[in-house]
Amino acid sequence: MKIKSLLSVLALGLGTTAYAQDATPLQISGSVDTYYKYDFSKVGNIKTSFASEQNSVSLGMIDLALKKTTGKASFVGELSFGPRGQAQSIPNAAGAYDETDNSFHIQNLYINYAFSDKFSMTAGYMGTFIGYEVISPVGNFNYSTSYLFTNGPFQNAGIKATYVFSDKVSLMAGLFNDWNAYQDFNGVSHIGAQLMIAPVKGWTAYLNVLSGYAAGAAGTGTILDLTTAYQITDKFKLGLNAADYSVSDDNGGYTGAALYPQYAFTPAVSLGLRGEYFKYKGVAAAPDASVTSITLSGNIKAGGLTFIPEVRFDNDKDFTQSFVKSSLAPAKSASQFSLAAVYAF
Amino acid sequence: MKFISSFFLLITVAALAKAQKTAENILPVDERGKLIYYEVVDVKIPKDSLKIRAINYLKKQNKELKYKSTQGDTAFVATGKLVINKTLLVMSHPSGEVLYDFQVEVKDGKYRFWLTDFNFIPYQRDRYGNFVASTSVGIPLEKDPGKLNASQWKEYQVQTTKYAKELATKFKVYMANKTPIVAPPKEKTVVKKEW
Repeated sequence: MKIKSLLSVLALGLGTTAYAQDATPLQISGSVDTYYKYDFSKVGNIKTSFASEQNSVSLGMIDLALKKTTGKASFVGELSFGPRGQAQSIPNAAGAYDETDNSFHIQNLYINYAFSDKFSMTAGYMGTFIGYEVISPVGNFNYSTSYLFTNGPFQNAGIKATYVFSDKVSLMAGLFNDWNAYQDFNGVSHIGAQLMIAPVKGWTAYLNVLSGYAAGAAGTGTILDLTTAYQITDKFKLGLNAADYSVSDDNGGYTGAALYPQYAFTPAVSLGLRGEYFKYKGVAAAPDASVTSITLSGNIKAGGLTFIPEVRFDNDKDFTQSFVKSSLAPAKSASQFSLAAVYAF
Repeated sequence: MKFISSFFLLITVAALAKAQKTAENILPVDERGKLIYYEVVDVKIPKDSLKIRAINYLKKQNKELKYKSTQGDTAFVATGKLVINKTLLVMSHPSGEVLYDFQVEVKDGKYRFWLTDFNFIPYQRDRYGNFVASTSVGIPLEKDPGKLNASQWKEYQVQTTKYAKELATKFKVYMANKTPIVAPPKEKTVVKKEW
């Protein structure tokens, strides 16, 4: 009797699978990362996101993503566990930024409907469309992150419409929550747009804007962002990110630019540099302060595994980053070495 | 002793059979050193019908093939894309795509076609969790990937070979179709000066 029931359930399952003709298989992907970092002043000086623990073999995160497409509809659900994807990301599962509350972090949770090949709409919680770098170490060439990334949005919840005019031009516009918030407590308060242009083969540029009044903010914040990458030859790629963020009524913000030249010696071995200038805008009469940073990283790939050896030098002429020497005396500069292993599946 | 000899013989035969099977599973190379699937097919069909069938086929494969041009009166060129999937038991996701050229030439009673210039473009998961091309410049599939990625590269070559064979089969079935081919009617022109 039990076998009969089992066979019936199996037959029903197979029938359902056969009926769902337009469905693609469930995609499961993700990554795992771990790193060792050593700051030459023996103190964890550089405070950009992630890779922050000094002289320790430390954890990044395990990231698990599911994607399914059925006909014109699809969803993506992506969760991460571990310091990079929990307390170091914002917000955590409780919807708050709390270093002591380790739960999990939602990277993506959205539903997309493609009305046609050209027009689609997406609603949910998505990786931000602003900037060059992302939370997932698989999406970045350098393991440590830039000041532009750390100070910009990580994710945006909202609803957006995308129209693809051609392979070379597309436009996205949408309504969004406050930055990095599952729920917007002052209503859906931001508008954003992205114009994608691909002038020549291998060159893609994104012009982004996001503006709105966040709950409890001093003014309306507007970020303008250019993110572009050009694969100039089969070995050489050049990326650029430039952004300006201003909060109305002289309530601060930032401006900065980062250049990303990368050279692939072989498909498995490449070297990349990140040179960044970043300026904090002073609130009211407070002066501006700037930081410069140079990061040299290697990418050595073997199947899904990537080793990222990296050296980084930061200069903080205005002493805003609280860099210290090994004697704990204030310092203008900081330097570190790190070695990360990232496995993507 | 006999048992041990038989055991080693069996292992050797199995290894040889596996090596031969792998070699069969990868496309041969042409005089330029490029991987190629090449076939000449004899059919009792006139050139004009073959021509219409070839163009129809290339134009109908919206997602798989993109019709590019006609060279002379009897040669047709298209470009194609094959998505390589990484499949491990229950999980699967695209790990890259192979771009290729597809060419057909027809004559009375026969035609030939070939797939070549295979270039692999690796995919990378983007910020929204979708797999997208990480570069616009492909790596020739016959290129030696080095020791680090040898097994993965072999898998791309095997999947491409399997795909090329399946595409060839579908194409030959279409070209051999017995239903009569009707040339598309010429567009009617509106006569304005004479009435």
